[in-house]
Amino acid sequence: MKQFKLPDLGEGLQEAEIVEWHVKAGDEVAVDQLLVSVETAKAIVEVPSPQAGVISRCFGASGDLLHVGEPLVEFEGEGEDSGTVVGNLGHASGTSDLAADDFIIGAAPSSRDARPLPVMPAARELARRLGVELGQLEGSGPGGLVTVADVQAADTQPTAGEALRSVRRTMAKNMSRAHAEVVPVTIVEDADLHQWDAGARDPMVRLARAIARACQAEPALNVGFDGARLSITRHQHIDLGVAVDTPDGLFVPVLRDVGNRDAEDLRQGLARLRADVLNRSIPPRELMGATITLSNYGTLFGRYASPVIMPPQVAIIGAGVIREQAVAHQGQVAVHPILPVSLTVDHRAVTGGEAARFLKALVEDLQAAE
Amino acid sequence: MAERKPVCMVEAINLALHRAMADDPDVVVLGEDVGPNGGVFRATVGLHERFGFRRVMDTPLAETLITGIAVGMAAQGLKPVAEIQFMGFIYAGMEHLVSHASRLRSRTRGRLSCPMVMRTPHGGGIHAPEHHGESTEALLAHVPGLRVVVPSSPRRAYGLLLAAIADPDPVIFLEPSRLYRSVQQVVEDDGQALPLDTCFTLREGKDLTLVSWGAALKETLEAASRLAEEGIDCEVIDVATLKPLDGDTILASVGKTGRCVIVHEAARSYGPGAEIAALVQEQLFYSLHAPVQRVTGFDCVIPYARQEMAYLPDVDSICEAGRQTMRGNDQ
Repeated sequence: MKQFKLPDLGEGLQEAEIVEWHVKAGDEVAVDQLLVSVETAKAIVEVPSPQAGVISRCFGASGDLLHVGEPLVEFEGEGEDSGTVVGNLGHASGTSDLAADDFIIGAAPSSRDARPLPVMPAARELARRLGVELGQLEGSGPGGLVTVADVQAADTQPTAGEALRSVRRTMAKNMSRAHAEVVPVTIVEDADLHQWDAGARDPMVRLARAIARACQAEPALNVGFDGARLSITRHQHIDLGVAVDTPDGLFVPVLRDVGNRDAEDLRQGLARLRADVLNRSIPPRELMGATITLSNYGTLFGRYASPVIMPPQVAIIGAGVIREQAVAHQGQVAVHPILPVSLTVDHRAVTGGEAARFLKALVEDLQAAE
Repeated sequence: MAERKPVCMVEAINLALHRAMADDPDVVVLGEDVGPNGGVFRATVGLHERFGFRRVMDTPLAETLITGIAVGMAAQGLKPVAEIQFMGFIYAGMEHLVSHASRLRSRTRGRLSCPMVMRTPHGGGIHAPEHHGESTEALLAHVPGLRVVVPSSPRRAYGLLLAAIADPDPVIFLEPSRLYRSVQQVVEDDGQALPLDTCFTLREGKDLTLVSWGAALKETLEAASRLAEEGIDCEVIDVATLKPLDGDTILASVGKTGRCVIVHEAARSYGPGAEIAALVQEQLFYSLHAPVQRVTGFDCVIPYARQEMAYLPDVDSICEAGRQTMRGNDQ
């Protein structure tokens, strides 16, 4: 809509009083047709229309005072005036959800409890992982807050099985940590024990000595490896971890400095460690610091194995059951006692060549008469 | 006499101004071009010819003056409704708003009050220069003693503006310029105010609460419709009065759904979005199913026209925040 405003009537006069309208809303007017008579302080002035068109509105009535610049009449047929000197407001598209506008003052009424079940976020996450239904729980925390302990207590999974305790729990944790980290490679060989004295069938001391000799022949397996920093620490001594099976689980006591001890000393040391483990009287420090490990499952059953290396160690030796076996000996078939040996190394720290040289030295020492 | 016709928000504001001035001779209007011109957005059209230049005053281009005059008028018993042409010009009046309007009642121990309303367009999306498109409601909402109101539809603009004018203390009335003419609805010009200091629930839902205000509610409601097609049932809350905040409504809704996404077009940091997130965390930490999320403008000056829409939160980002919140937990 275009408005025609009261023009400057000259002589610096700023206002005028409407005397008489000559048109009304709806009238069609021509250019220069008289619209209104106004009286200024000096005279009655006739105001003509500046344009042709249809009058949609007249502002003010007879006797009203108008100032210069105020609207006098409005013409139809012009676009809607939405104002603004800057920007673009657009127009109603009629599709916005805001137009529907069924609003509620304040909160929506609800039959649901506004604070149904307070749950610690950590407990909620644990419940999701364990598949525990939170709706069933009664919280033990303040205000019925469901805590992590509540979720653990409500977890039905462990009651189906048996929760691991102490040594077995430690074993489970250590094994998964080792498995996640180590890159194991296993090689196997048989040691022919026919040169041993008849009746000398406890191989533990010989195995300990053979491992010590093999470490001296190939020191690369008697090291500590730090996978995070990618560094190797070479050990001065050989401290042999000896896996011992007990009803409670796996223990690995450590036989110290096997490279510098004689057979009798080793035998007594082994016996004492084994007794301490079985009595559950072994001090924790005797279970720490092995540089290489021996798993002699030969006392139980089985031939070859790939036992798990405990970081930072890089090697573990498995010894199987000594059995009578037909072998080719000096061109003849002979029956000899054979000790199956497995060597597993962490390939991140040990090469195949180092492993093979170690195993060769180990088997050769085992096969020697004394 | 009730009148029924579809109007846009700026027309609803005009209706409310006519109604308030007709009902109360103490209501006066002042600002740049608000007189015969009818205002830059036409919010004050017809007021000058109906109520005369003594009650509808054109001012010089001086926002400090406009605000100061309004404070003085209010202190002496008038109910001035001052218009600041764009929110980017309100800062010149901040001295009067912060140091006087907000604390007149407190300073005089109740002998004086300041029943003024400061209207100003709010927010971007109309391709105007940057100081014509910003949304700095946080600056005002932070000041104790100032009431900050943002309508989001013609009906709420009408009812809330009447309430703001009737309120005995200063109200900053932020009008989303993007909604001025883009939404039409029937508004009964019945002089009925809507309550201040309360949120409005625009849509009921049980899975997720979307909290917003002003023009961003347009995209928020669209997002709610789209999420509904994916099976996510959203409740949509229009905060409407940013200060004082109606925490009860928000907490009742988030308590019910356990999930909350806050949407605002103002810069992300230090605003009412953070305030609402903090409130929800304080009161509902143990009932939440997922972290509270915010979909907001960026911590930068609002860009010029070409990149303006990239700055404003869009339907896609609101939906994505909603989906992420639903993934947070399946309980």
